[in-house]
Amino acid sequence: MNETEQRRKFNSLVLPHLASALSLARWLTGDATDAEDVVQDASIRAFRAVETLRGEQPRAWLLSIVRNTAFTWLAKNRPKSLLVTDDEKVFEQAEAQMFATPRDGTAETELIAKADAENLQREIAALPIAYREVLVLRELEGMNYREIAALLQIPVGTVMSRLSRARALLVQRIGRDQAEERKPK
Amino acid sequence: MKSRDTDLMLVNAYVDGELDASATLAFERRMAKDKTLQAAHGRVVALQNALAAKLRPAQISDSMQQRIATAFGPSTVPKALRFDWRQMAASAVVAAMLGGGATLVGLQRFAPSNSFDAIVAGHERSLLAATPVDVVSSDHHTVKPWFDQRLAVSPPVPDLAAEGYALVGGRVDIVGGKPVPTLVYKLRQHLISLVAVPHVGGSDEQAVGKFTTRDGYSVLTWPGSDFTYSAVSDVPKSELEAFAAKWRATGPAE
Repeated sequence: MNETEQRRKFNSLVLPHLASALSLARWLTGDATDAEDVVQDASIRAFRAVETLRGEQPRAWLLSIVRNTAFTWLAKNRPKSLLVTDDEKVFEQAEAQMFATPRDGTAETELIAKADAENLQREIAALPIAYREVLVLRELEGMNYREIAALLQIPVGTVMSRLSRARALLVQRIGRDQAEERKPK
Repeated sequence: MKSRDTDLMLVNAYVDGELDASATLAFERRMAKDKTLQAAHGRVVALQNALAAKLRPAQISDSMQQRIATAFGPSTVPKALRFDWRQMAASAVVAAMLGGGATLVGLQRFAPSNSFDAIVAGHERSLLAATPVDVVSSDHHTVKPWFDQRLAVSPPVPDLAAEGYALVGGRVDIVGGKPVPTLVYKLRQHLISLVAVPHVGGSDEQAVGKFTTRDGYSVLTWPGSDFTYSAVSDVPKSELEAFAAKWRATGPAE
């Protein structure tokens, strides 16, 4: 592939998905400036590799490059953020709460509906990265389970259990935040 | 507790539309009789709605879009490039790039700068991709808000199904380094991409379209009041003109 073609392919296949790339990088690094660095680095890699892009969805292809770039970046600059402390008890408790049917069951879904963007963002950012990335790819990038599994190179069953846990934890924490906020002083 | 794990995954898969028809039916029957499943379902849906309503997709800044488009797109001097060379030099990628003799500066010379090229390239990419659109919908009530959310602009989306042009959906193309909305219609087996490049200032609504061809594709361009439209397809000139005439005559469908 000559360079003109390479540029053309990059332009038409990769550039349209930069916003998705930036969004994922933000969620993974937790910082707008760091995300721009990651996307720039990922763009260079994508440009170098664009000739290998055949048949795959360009967006999923770019996102997987962004994801790998982000993890490399985090390992170098913020290794602590990659430590996943799987606290089974925390998850189990959150999962149990999902099935609870107390009188205030309706009230809790109303509290979630009232949560503002800042609250949602904060709680998503607080999720362990392995859970956060699955949630973000599903809820914000609208990818289905199989696409997420392919992108992260994990089994679909793992996607399902991480997503399920991520949502349970979010419901619990957002509900709690909102209840705190609305408590009469 | 294993069964609770599984049930919660089932609730999530149901909400995400990941169950097949028979599993969906079986799950709905179970849920109808089970208050705890209903509770979990209600919470997942509430969360999903909140996320969809409150969290906007990241908008890429013009400067960043330009920076990357400049690095790998149109041919301009890469002065605007704000890459941190020290940091980049540390990466193996750059080492490989320099080792390979190719530098960013070296790449600048080869760039399709013409917007016709970009428009045709967008159409070509859509034909190569698994689906020619980013949002699939024959309903302009879906396509318009989708553009509004992504790009903060959206062109009129007339319903031309009765005229033989079925709306396939919309996608984002890059023209002149900027993301622009593109509508996709289908005429028999042919796709017609309608690229709407926003412009400032009024235009002559009656202006005649300009016709050109690139790579075997026909491109018809005409000015509108807020956008400059380009229709691109592999249909002959006369058919593209017929499409444009119908599109302009029908006008915005609100």
